[in-house]
Amino acid sequence: MKLKNILIYIVMAFIGVLFLFPLLWSAISSLKPEAEIMNYPPKWIADFTLINYKSVLAQYPYTGWMMNSLIITVLSTLFVLALTTPAAYAFGRLNFKGKKVIFTLIVSMLLIPIQAYIVPLFLLVSELKLLNTFAALILVAGANVISVYILTSFFKGIPNELEEAARIDGCKDFGIFWKVMLPLTKPAVSTVTILMFISNWNNFLWPMIAIRANALKPLTVGIAQFMGGANSTAQFQYGTSLAAACMAIIPSVIVFLSLQRYFVEGITNSGIKG
Amino acid sequence: MKSQGKVAALFLLPYLLVFLVFRFGPSVAGLFIGFMKWNIVGDAQFAGLANFKKLFNDPIFWVSFKNTLLFLLLTLPPLIVFSLLMAVLLNQKLRFRNAVRTISIIPYVLIPAVVGIIWNWLYDNNFGILNYYLKLIGLGPIEWLTSEKWALFSIALVTVWSYLGYNMILYLAGLQDISADLYEAAKIDGATGAQAFMRITLPMLKPITSMVITLTLVNTIQIFDQIFVMTNGGPGTATLTLVQYLYGTAFQNYNLGYGSVLGIATLVILIVFVQIQSRLLKLDD
Repeated sequence: MKLKNILIYIVMAFIGVLFLFPLLWSAISSLKPEAEIMNYPPKWIADFTLINYKSVLAQYPYTGWMMNSLIITVLSTLFVLALTTPAAYAFGRLNFKGKKVIFTLIVSMLLIPIQAYIVPLFLLVSELKLLNTFAALILVAGANVISVYILTSFFKGIPNELEEAARIDGCKDFGIFWKVMLPLTKPAVSTVTILMFISNWNNFLWPMIAIRANALKPLTVGIAQFMGGANSTAQFQYGTSLAAACMAIIPSVIVFLSLQRYFVEGITNSGIKG
Repeated sequence: MKSQGKVAALFLLPYLLVFLVFRFGPSVAGLFIGFMKWNIVGDAQFAGLANFKKLFNDPIFWVSFKNTLLFLLLTLPPLIVFSLLMAVLLNQKLRFRNAVRTISIIPYVLIPAVVGIIWNWLYDNNFGILNYYLKLIGLGPIEWLTSEKWALFSIALVTVWSYLGYNMILYLAGLQDISADLYEAAKIDGATGAQAFMRITLPMLKPITSMVITLTLVNTIQIFDQIFVMTNGGPGTATLTLVQYLYGTAFQNYNLGYGSVLGIATLVILIVFVQIQSRLLKLDD
């Protein structure tokens, strides 16, 4: 029994190291001057310096990218919630013709990867003269499917008694939505919020195609320039690219840790229940 | 019950409008553009099945097709098996289990380009720490990203690293839905832990497994960012997946019609794989 426990904790430690080690080693490397980074054999302790961070901030519009990402992500998330909460309420609580067909049509889009419609999407957005605008990203984000799915199954799960009681008290449809249903949706809305926040914050392909102006790029697209990708203009250096990467880890991890509970529920709900 | 059509319309219309214009419309249009000969400057011309014919005679398409299949085969089994094992382990009452769970999801929430940068550094041929450790145990060095032999495998490894925690969460939720009584009963009947796992856990998790496979397929077939940042399809065409090829065709060479056909091909592969998994999992009943 004891041996088994020791083994289990060794495996757990291994898992922890497996996921943390790449991040830790990159953070340590980013704190070394370029010449030290290339030192062989690699050392865990060195003369740590912030020089790489300073040069990223000085040479690139990094804080601008981060602000762009923040603005795009917050507005996209709010837009998704504003559109999908009422729509999910209709699917979850109201009776109307064609409900099932429309809902199935929407949910079936979950299987279609963005690659299958990105060319027409690009043509549409350029026809609307929305290329190089945040609106191109926010509008596309608004057509989100998974949040309709999660919120609908949440609305379905609310007991009828609450609604009936409200109707007896004289509440009309909109009153029921505002005063009875919305206050109840906090857990589901939190879940959708965190899922939308992370997916919009991490979004890459569509922003790269829709936004070409360097000053308007979100962080994801800006950061990609630090590697040998097609858009690379930088003279390649490990120090600066690792510093750029490590600075981007911080907001992701803070948002994740503070909303972790909802995030886990979100992953779970988006797949299993419904 | 009475129909609430008018109210429903008010609640639905804003979303439906955005959905139809920016999701459904483009998805349907994708199919039509596939029949067009269309460069971004000129007008679209009807090209019939020319783009589809071109697809079958295009050696680069077949390379990217093969790479995409290989990539799915390299990532799917570990993403299912290891995430399940991790979930079973971390479902037990253990100290630090919440910490380990949290740590293992962190890669999933990181920006994929950031993950790419980090792993490019670990994979560096000369100064990378992976080759350093390999050397210590008398192996390597491996040209992780610069040799045609290893590049796709190396990227698959990063993908597995990124998504394991996410899949584990799905399995954890599934495990928590299995009634403890079943295990109690099995214990009374003298079943060993391994038997309980094979006879109770696995069968009860079948619906979850089906879902995890589907989600993993949807997620991995779309992987673009990491490859773009790490190898951009190279060396040669060793990591050129369909999605990579699509991007180059449509948005660097501006052949929109053919790009759209590549998008449809991606969708077809996805559907075929999802069908295969649902058949396979049902056959076991």
